[in-house]
Amino acid sequence: MEFWKRFSRHRGAVIGLVFLLLIVAIAVLTPMLFPSSPWRMVQRPFLPPFTMDRFPLGTDALGRDVLAGLAYGAQVSLIIGLISTAAALLIGIPIGLIAGYFGGLVDDVLMRFTEFFQTVPSFALAIVLVAIFQPSIVSIIAAIGIVSWPPVARLVRAEVLSLRSREYVEAAILSGQTNTTIILRQILPNTLSPIIVLASLMVATAILLESSLSFMGLGDPNLMSWGYMIGAARTVIRQAWWLSFFPGVAILLTVLALNLIGEGLNDALNPRLSRKGK
Amino acid sequence: MLKRLMPVAAALLLSTAAYAQKPGGRANVVIQPEPPGLMVGIIQNGPTQMVAGNIYEGLLRYDPQLKPLPQLAKSWTISDDGLTYTFKLQSGVKWHDGKPFSSADVVFSANVFLRETHARLRASLAYVDTITAPDAETVVFKLKQPFGPFIGIFEVGTMPMVPKHIYEGTDFKANPANNTPIGTGPFKFKEWVKGSHILLVKNTDYYEPGKPLLDEIYWHVIPDAAARSVAYETGKVDILPGGSIENFDVGRVSKLKNTCSTDKGWEFFGPHSWLWLNNRQGPTADKRFRQAVMHAMDRKFALDALWNGFGKVAGSPVSSSTKFFTDKVKAYDYDPAKAKALLKEMGYKGETVRLLPLPYGETWQRWAEAVKQNLIDVGIKVEMVSTDVAGWNQKVADWDYDMAFTYLYQYGDPALGVSRNYVSSNIAKGSPWNNVEGYSNPAVDDLFAKGAATAKADERQDAYTKVQQILTEDVPVAWLLELGFPTIHRCSIKNLVTTGIGVNDGFKDAWIEN
Amino acid sequence: MIGFILARLGKSAAILVAIVALNFLLIHAAPGDPAAVMAGEAGASDEKFLAQLRTQFGLDKSLPEQMALYMKGVLTLDLGYSYRQQMPVADLIFSRLPATLLLTFSAFAISLVLGTLAGVLASARVGSWADTLISTAALIFYATPLFWVALMAVILFSVTLDWLPGFGYETVGAGYTGLRRVLDIAEHLILPALTLGLFFMAVYMRMTRASMLEVRGLDFVKTARAKGLAPRTILWRHVFRNAMLPIVTLAGLQAGQLVGGAVLTETVFAWPGIGRLMFEALAQRDYNLLLGIFFISAAMVLLFNLITDVAYRVVDPRIRAS
Repeated sequence: MEFWKRFSRHRGAVIGLVFLLLIVAIAVLTPMLFPSSPWRMVQRPFLPPFTMDRFPLGTDALGRDVLAGLAYGAQVSLIIGLISTAAALLIGIPIGLIAGYFGGLVDDVLMRFTEFFQTVPSFALAIVLVAIFQPSIVSIIAAIGIVSWPPVARLVRAEVLSLRSREYVEAAILSGQTNTTIILRQILPNTLSPIIVLASLMVATAILLESSLSFMGLGDPNLMSWGYMIGAARTVIRQAWWLSFFPGVAILLTVLALNLIGEGLNDALNPRLSRKGK
Repeated sequence: MLKRLMPVAAALLLSTAAYAQKPGGRANVVIQPEPPGLMVGIIQNGPTQMVAGNIYEGLLRYDPQLKPLPQLAKSWTISDDGLTYTFKLQSGVKWHDGKPFSSADVVFSANVFLRETHARLRASLAYVDTITAPDAETVVFKLKQPFGPFIGIFEVGTMPMVPKHIYEGTDFKANPANNTPIGTGPFKFKEWVKGSHILLVKNTDYYEPGKPLLDEIYWHVIPDAAARSVAYETGKVDILPGGSIENFDVGRVSKLKNTCSTDKGWEFFGPHSWLWLNNRQGPTADKRFRQAVMHAMDRKFALDALWNGFGKVAGSPVSSSTKFFTDKVKAYDYDPAKAKALLKEMGYKGETVRLLPLPYGETWQRWAEAVKQNLIDVGIKVEMVSTDVAGWNQKVADWDYDMAFTYLYQYGDPALGVSRNYVSSNIAKGSPWNNVEGYSNPAVDDLFAKGAATAKADERQDAYTKVQQILTEDVPVAWLLELGFPTIHRCSIKNLVTTGIGVNDGFKDAWIEN
Repeated sequence: MIGFILARLGKSAAILVAIVALNFLLIHAAPGDPAAVMAGEAGASDEKFLAQLRTQFGLDKSLPEQMALYMKGVLTLDLGYSYRQQMPVADLIFSRLPATLLLTFSAFAISLVLGTLAGVLASARVGSWADTLISTAALIFYATPLFWVALMAVILFSVTLDWLPGFGYETVGAGYTGLRRVLDIAEHLILPALTLGLFFMAVYMRMTRASMLEVRGLDFVKTARAKGLAPRTILWRHVFRNAMLPIVTLAGLQAGQLVGGAVLTETVFAWPGIGRLMFEALAQRDYNLLLGIFFISAAMVLLFNLITDVAYRVVDPRIRAS
């Protein structure tokens, strides 16, 4: 397969993919590997790592298993990363498509709207949104989606603008197809490559954003996420380095893996557009 | 008529132990969060009191057993019928701007200024008929009816003396002088760089000879708890008042070299924590469910793991440092089996209860997580709701919760800080500090009324013992811990905490040993 | 050009008004109000106290009325009064702005200079160990949570090694003046600026490298090479100059975000800047203050966008066409 050949030429991307698959596997298998809740207090507090076989990464301030927390955190990070990216795509793609396809006043209005969202600092906006709607998985996903869609809209619009004047689109317009059909059948499929690349990077950014929100104390209190673990560990960082170290590494590796995959995808899908997705 | 008289000599005796006191030096203290203002007559939050306790003074202070000590009043008498309180003021007291302090200021403060601005004092002043000044150094409070806790309302946070010559006839809250507070206290306001520090300097005209000993006090604003620990470790601050660093750090920091810690100085406040349980609806409306919650919680674990063992498991609605506490009440041990049995008996069907943590930092968050897990372990379905201070206030004040963490001060007396949470006349939306749980019991109402309406200690004890017994049976709220907030400081700083009000009472006795 | 600037200014003002209006509604949708928060801090209150506070803050008026009042204030550049800090919002913001600007501009300068240099270096020797090292470092910086690095840096450099102060803007109470004070602030600045700069640095490294590589393959560079120009001249004169265009765009965008982009760093390092002020204002429902901060940071973004666009038009006349 041509795509796979080009993708696998990027060695880092393959490593990233393997690592990501590993994390996905852990996330999927977590309920079986760790049947008990990660919130259960199972040992004495602050058990250092590598001292007890049953709790290889030690325990936290309440005696909860850090390894179980990491496994459940993988679930949460991936879910939040994926869904909030999907949310951002759901807002950004239609806006970009419509703005690019119809142009003129519609384009102007939509782009002002986009600009509007880019004018407010995104992390600050995310904080305000989550604080106002009270921290929960829904408000976090919504906030991340709301602050991350503008680049999608801009990218899609730029793609559409360049596709709009292509012959096959012109032909479709002349043959009397409806705008919806043209957008969905002719244009959208051809913008997918850069969107996929951007999306892989957005998942990474979303995971970072979620962890930052949790670090500021704005995470969902019912979910064990990596950001929450670091936020909770920050006050005890000096007596229990492992509490912030391991989840920090987990975030780092996952985000790294996603970035590498993004690069690989970029090489594989649109060698020509190597810079657009940033 | 003269029942008790506290001569000045006794006050001096208290401080004679400090014969080797050395004047001079600077205290670097953490202040958290940054206070909204320093005019303690208008703003009564914790940080304001802590700084302003050096600038302003009340008529009295209280020792750790909550016995009154002289401050701006050098002596006082209470009439036998408990209706007339006469205070003799110190001589030669001056405001920080040089104007003399007199009984007119006391009358103005209590009768005009604080009635307007001080919500907590206003409730107590409702018992007062007249406040008069027969001469420049005497003030007389005449009560409409006996009010048990009356002698306990004269400390600086409850009834601070404010200068009449500055505030009379002005819009108190808009008076520009609020930014440059003028009091009679041992330290004067010098500067406030917002977001950075507040500087107080020694009041060289202070009326107590030889006081204060320190030259200046720097209050450092450091918004991050971890950064506050670092500030202490690196020597930038020398005093960490209770609650200024995360509890998880207390154990480590208090073991540092030349570091002392004390959990004294909170007796007057008696911070008492509990879970509000909504008595109106859902499973929490059932007494057996509420008792099950008491048995389900491992409060000793929370005390040790989260509070470093400072404080106590709360046995009653009254803190053990508050007057009229009794331990002759129904006790609730950590007993999950009993909790499960109670839940089975009531027929709990797994309805989800919402748990609202107190948004005051990591310790409270962890605590809520531990309690949630405790409750899940006995089969209660719990959903944690996250919110910030404003959201918490609104949810609790609007009764939009099932269980909510809180802690409140008791101000030394059940009539001041306990009855407010249990009497049915205090059920009203809009405040998170009244009878938020919606508990209503005429017997309890009567007993609290009886306890407040007499100055006789034995009658009061009787009423409050009974009320504690009824409440611990009914469990209107699930009591958690009597909180201990250790003050951590360099051992070279002496006499930092000398009264039951602790660091909120000013640093006039504190001094630094080389 | 003046017409263009005026048109853009008009548009920016419209966006700004829209932002203020939206934020106003957003913030008032949050549960609780400043009176409740302040009463909450006092630990006791009654209806009278709350009513007094609400009247004092003007919160007893209807929402449209409050909004009209606020908008009127903003149009006359009056940002109102902070309930909680008892100071005019503008004074508060301008007292905190220098700290934030110092921090973010330092981070920005460090990351821009080091990032571009490393990027050029990497692109000049693609595949060498230096390239691998730089690219890997960029990838890692890019993927690391900022607050995590900040925490680790405090532990290592401040607590363990005791080389640098771990928090704050200057040594409080030291009474330094003149050069001594400048040095003191600089010392406090190092850790937060580096931490904050790390992420941007990664961005610039990656962009510069990619951009350099792309430009290098373009025809005019091949022509230059064919003309026999020295590699060094080609690298700086031709490749670097042209590769900088996208970086300037990004820098322009980022410069605008400087005001609002440092919340995390300021929180961890207790840096007395706007970001921290914003977070506090949010928690305290200090509506006027929060709105004022959003207003200022949005205005900065628009200003920098405008500057970037104008600079572009001056530098590259072709842009006018598009």
